[in-house]
Amino acid sequence: MSTLTNTAAAARRRLLSLDGWAVFLALLAALLVRTGVVKHIPW
Amino acid sequence: MSQSAVALPQLRTANPALSFLRLIPGVLLLAAIGYAGKLLEQNVGKYAKAHHWTFPNIEYVLWAILLGLIISNVVGIPEIFRAGVATYEFWLKAGIVLLGSRFLLGDVLKLGGVSLALVFIEIIGAIAFMTFLGRAFGLRPKLTSLLAVGSAVCGVSAIIATKGAIEADDEDSGFAIAAILALGALALFTFPLIGHALHLGDRAYGLWSGLAVDNTAEAAAAGALYSDAAGKLAVLAKTTRNAMIGFVVLAYAIYWASRGQAQAVGNKAAFLWQKFPKFVLGFLLISVLATYQFFNREQVAALANLSRWAFLLTFAGVGLRTNFREMRKQGLRPFAVGAIGEVVIAGFTLALVYGAQYFFHW
Repeated sequence: MSTLTNTAAAARRRLLSLDGWAVFLALLAALLVRTGVVKHIPW
Repeated sequence: MSQSAVALPQLRTANPALSFLRLIPGVLLLAAIGYAGKLLEQNVGKYAKAHHWTFPNIEYVLWAILLGLIISNVVGIPEIFRAGVATYEFWLKAGIVLLGSRFLLGDVLKLGGVSLALVFIEIIGAIAFMTFLGRAFGLRPKLTSLLAVGSAVCGVSAIIATKGAIEADDEDSGFAIAAILALGALALFTFPLIGHALHLGDRAYGLWSGLAVDNTAEAAAAGALYSDAAGKLAVLAKTTRNAMIGFVVLAYAIYWASRGQAQAVGNKAAFLWQKFPKFVLGFLLISVLATYQFFNREQVAALANLSRWAFLLTFAGVGLRTNFREMRKQGLRPFAVGAIGEVVIAGFTLALVYGAQYFFHW
């Protein structure tokens, strides 16, 4: 049980923070738009 | 954590795939409410006009918040949606980063410079006044610190960051968060009315709401309720405030450690980096890229629209996480201190904005 908990805690530590994920996703979206993978986003 | 009474809980499980799946229903609910708000904006006005009714033009921002408020306070949010609804802060931060594409670096430096000067004055004034008020009302010292940080810097995030640094208890942080959230909800409806009554321009109003409204989501919404341009400025001013979080929390951590009521801070640079909101860096990076024409005009428009979609989910989340019944349970005194403080800070920051207009000839 403690091993499982430790593994999960270690995995969580490796992941980005909420801020980090938000920045990553936004930059990825910007890259997709820049490279033309996503051409138009309507509003 | 008593915060769950006023803010939606973050579900954590050992399995990342399962955690991700649990987010989907709530995110879909945010999207559905946000999109319904957009449809209502487009169609209610048309319907009223066709039937010769007099009906105010209500923006999608307000519709999304109102729909969220109704669902949260009348029906409640079923458990299955809660984890996904709590992602509204994630969408807010992603939206702010993408909004960087609409600011050229020169604007950021100019407006951000003005914001920074005003933010500095606002933070000192707000902390001094809230500390005085907390003492006058006999609030517990750490609760007073939390309310001061929440009012001066950036609402719930600042309170959570400070709670850990000064070792405040859950009850105090619950009180402080409830007060800040309730007052943020109130600001959504009062700020645009005051702005219109005073005939504030988009720039002045945006700067004011970014300086005076505590939580980032509410500040963005209060700005967007006024106009698109005011929303942009509100986010910029609020982002400048957010960037100060590390310094304020560090100062409080050192103060409480010196009184033997919190652990001493070891590496101060590491502490500042840990508390620094990283989305501010993302916003600046996108702004630099836009300035050096890394994106063409169509691409900037696409990124701006993507930012609007992200904010749409945020505004739906602001309504959904505001539960007045839960807030009432938290007691009146912290709310009274927060309310008096917010009114004074709103007046103070409005005077700062008028002063900036006068000195910088806006």
